Amino acid sequence: MELKTIELTKMYGSKTAVNHLNITLSNGVYGLLGANGAGKTTLMRLLCAIQTPTSGKITLNGKKITGLGEEYRGLLGYLPQHFGYYSDFTALDFLLYVAALKGLNEKTTKIKVKEQLEAVGLSEVSNRKIKTFSGGMKQRLGIAQAMLNDPRILILDEPTAGLDPKERVRFRNLISAFSKDRIVILSTHIVSDVEFIAGEIIMMKSGQILHSGKPQEITTEIDGQVWECTVPTNCVDQYTTALNISNSRNIENNCTVLRVIADCAPMTNAVQVRPNLEDLYLFYFKGGNNQ
Amino acid sequence: MRKLIKFELRKILTKRLMLIAIAAVILLSILLGVSISQSMYAFDGTSNEGTGQTAISIDKSIVAKYKGVLTDEKVQQMMADFKPKSDLHGMNAVYLYQNAMQSAVFARFSDINGDWNGLSVADVFENEKIKVGYVNGWLCTSQNMAKVSIVLSLVIILMIAPVFSGEYDGVDNIILTSKYGKTKCGTAKVMASLLATLLVTAFVVITNIMIAFMIYGGDGLDCSILFGPLAFTEGYIPFNITCGTLLKYQVLLAFTSAASVTGITLILSAACKNQMVAYVASVAIYLLPIMMPIAETDLLFKLIVLMPFYHSQYISIMSVEQMGNGMLYAVWAIPVAIILITFGFAVSCRVFAKHQVS
Repeated sequence: MELKTIELTKMYGSKTAVNHLNITLSNGVYGLLGANGAGKTTLMRLLCAIQTPTSGKITLNGKKITGLGEEYRGLLGYLPQHFGYYSDFTALDFLLYVAALKGLNEKTTKIKVKEQLEAVGLSEVSNRKIKTFSGGMKQRLGIAQAMLNDPRILILDEPTAGLDPKERVRFRNLISAFSKDRIVILSTHIVSDVEFIAGEIIMMKSGQILHSGKPQEITTEIDGQVWECTVPTNCVDQYTTALNISNSRNIENNCTVLRVIADCAPMTNAVQVRPNLEDLYLFYFKGGNNQ
Repeated sequence: MRKLIKFELRKILTKRLMLIAIAAVILLSILLGVSISQSMYAFDGTSNEGTGQTAISIDKSIVAKYKGVLTDEKVQQMMADFKPKSDLHGMNAVYLYQNAMQSAVFARFSDINGDWNGLSVADVFENEKIKVGYVNGWLCTSQNMAKVSIVLSLVIILMIAPVFSGEYDGVDNIILTSKYGKTKCGTAKVMASLLATLLVTAFVVITNIMIAFMIYGGDGLDCSILFGPLAFTEGYIPFNITCGTLLKYQVLLAFTSAASVTGITLILSAACKNQMVAYVASVAIYLLPIMMPIAETDLLFKLIVLMPFYHSQYISIMSVEQMGNGMLYAVWAIPVAIILITFGFAVSCRVFAKHQVS
């Protein structure tokens, strides 16, 4: 299976959200990283065919997805960043409704709904109204509905938002087990979520792909540019303003270890360390936005 | 598809606001039915006088004396029986109200003093055979039903406005990416909307008819609406139909109004991003015809009365000249309703399928 975007562009007025994007996705887990406004959500909506591109096209195995209609949507599972629900529906009702929308038959519906409720840990509360759910429970329900039809293409927009650490681990395991022979695309700000499960990282900025590759390889880009240095804790503020700090950790004797991204040693006691994905993210998105 | 329709129907009918609105229409039907019967007055010209159920009994006993086809003899008899016994102090006797039958005969055959105005039955009704009976109850019921039908249309708009636009709050993401989200889901929504509309309309219509039967009984259904009290002369339906026929047409118009309103609202529901905007726009379109000052003689009037508001209001559409086959012009409400619901189905499904999630 090959999902391909060809010169894909989406503009909102004069603002370009996705800019002549060419990308080929085959089976595997893709982690989409980028600051707010980088075009991740727009790209996902375009892939889901719920937004029409301004120009360019998306093909699945060489066929335009717009022409595939139900056939394409039948392969799709989508968790939007923000999704609505029917306040009077229980979790079970909601999944039964989504199963009907996805065209699952009676028998499969029964099995799949039960399976997904268990997978996301909502079996116990399946008869509770969704309006009584916490943010994390709603998010898990969203994940369950996306996976209900055993999708061959699973698109998850910020799937771990609102999940506690235990739930995030459960989610990662769920995706890892699920991803065989499938295309899974997930976007997130939480770098560690994709670091463990994504086979390929795609970094987006201003609607374009900045960088892509395997997590282990992609970080080589900044080899020799990540340092750890110990500074007095009361001086941390002045270093924070002056340097690109990816992490700080207090240690004994009123000292703090700073993880700094810089071309050369930021101070004399700086020790070079191996870069990780978070360092790379900060290297590209220092300002925390899409500038 | 059946499963989807069931879910859509559930979404439409189980909202608390909807249940309250339907209960309010039923309550309005009961209040109107009871209050109009309670405000009825009748005096038989001798000793019996009363309001409410007593008035209805007096009216029915008076009517019993003149039952059958209206003749000049019966008119003379009525004029003599109801001749004012006291000084009217300059009041035009036509406007005198003692009971329903007196009001009916005075409205057509009395001069200002309460004497016969010299007109014969043939002068007033030409060759029509006017069957006399207790029609007051059913005529009042039909007026109540018009009011209820207008309120019901607003409730139906409230019910249908969120069908598509309600999904734009975020569920559209999930629906439109599912296999049947852009195809069967739209159809299911339209089918469920129409079904919900027909169910609610049937419930309200049956309630109104039951209330009328309980208060007035079945008398008068086979009698002409043309020999009703003064309130049903000027500007009322000018055709010699029975109360039963009037009731049938009104039931039909209640359904065509509801279906037409559903068609219009579905389009706006799919086109508007917000359910409140869809509601306000649909209400505006529904009420628009009454804002248009078009004379009944204008050709355009024949088109305007085909708008759903006039289905509910019933008098205007039923007053347009009869068609060649003797049917009332009001039957055109059926094709109008079919066209609007078909158009609503096609457009709303297409707009929803092409909706750009934001």
